[in-house]
Amino acid sequence: MTSVETTIANRLAELTRVSALVNELAAAHRLPADPVADMLVALDEVLTNIITHGYSDDRAHEIRIRLTVGADTLEAEVEDDGRPFDPLAAAPPDLGGSLQERRVGGLGIHFVRKLMSEVAYSLVDNKNRLVLKKGLTARREEDSGGPA
Amino acid sequence: MDLREDSVGDVLVLEVKGRIDSSTAPALGDKLSDTLGAPARRLVLDLRQLEYISSAGFRILLLAAKRAEEAGSRFVLCGLSGKVRQLFDLGGFLDLFPISASREDGIAAVR
Repeated sequence: MTSVETTIANRLAELTRVSALVNELAAAHRLPADPVADMLVALDEVLTNIITHGYSDDRAHEIRIRLTVGADTLEAEVEDDGRPFDPLAAAPPDLGGSLQERRVGGLGIHFVRKLMSEVAYSLVDNKNRLVLKKGLTARREEDSGGPA
Repeated sequence: MDLREDSVGDVLVLEVKGRIDSSTAPALGDKLSDTLGAPARRLVLDLRQLEYISSAGFRILLLAAKRAEEAGSRFVLCGLSGKVRQLFDLGGFLDLFPISASREDGIAAVR
């Protein structure tokens, strides 16, 4: 099991650093592409929500992200000190309706729930902690080197 | 994100290459607004080279589709595949946006 941790500021420009870290970890462990792609979307949505809606001030804040590669899972733990907010308690979006009726509110969390194998929220020391788990259902890509 | 424009008769084909996420969505949103702001526009959005889309992308696409409907313009998406298509499906957008199988079909659909 390998864990890497990073801290980002509450600015959207920081998100490329997080994606890069996920991709590095995925390459190092030769993780299958599909679950990694799903985790990248889920993390993007979670972090964008925190940065865009999580704070009631204009100050700089830190968001801690811990990535863990387990035997069969890729996990991301996100901790922020923004307003206490449980995204799992939010109402799911209405996916029906006509074009003019349709809203995008709740879509990001909807993707997170649908793409991840498990999502868990807790409030720890007054910080929001969200744990995203993605099962690595495909076998890890085998090393294709060696004589034919 | 790179945008490439082609005109096929009176149809504008806009190809999006790369990512539509929270940082690139505003630029695409502006481009779509400018294009669809005038009435009776014909637009095909080719997403064949789209590698990534997040909810920020769906927000501007939804806004563009609504604007098109209001302005009496025609707007079609094409080139959906892989993970991008999966997200359209998860978001309930496959039934909501006009989607064509190919650029040629899209051009025919908006004429």
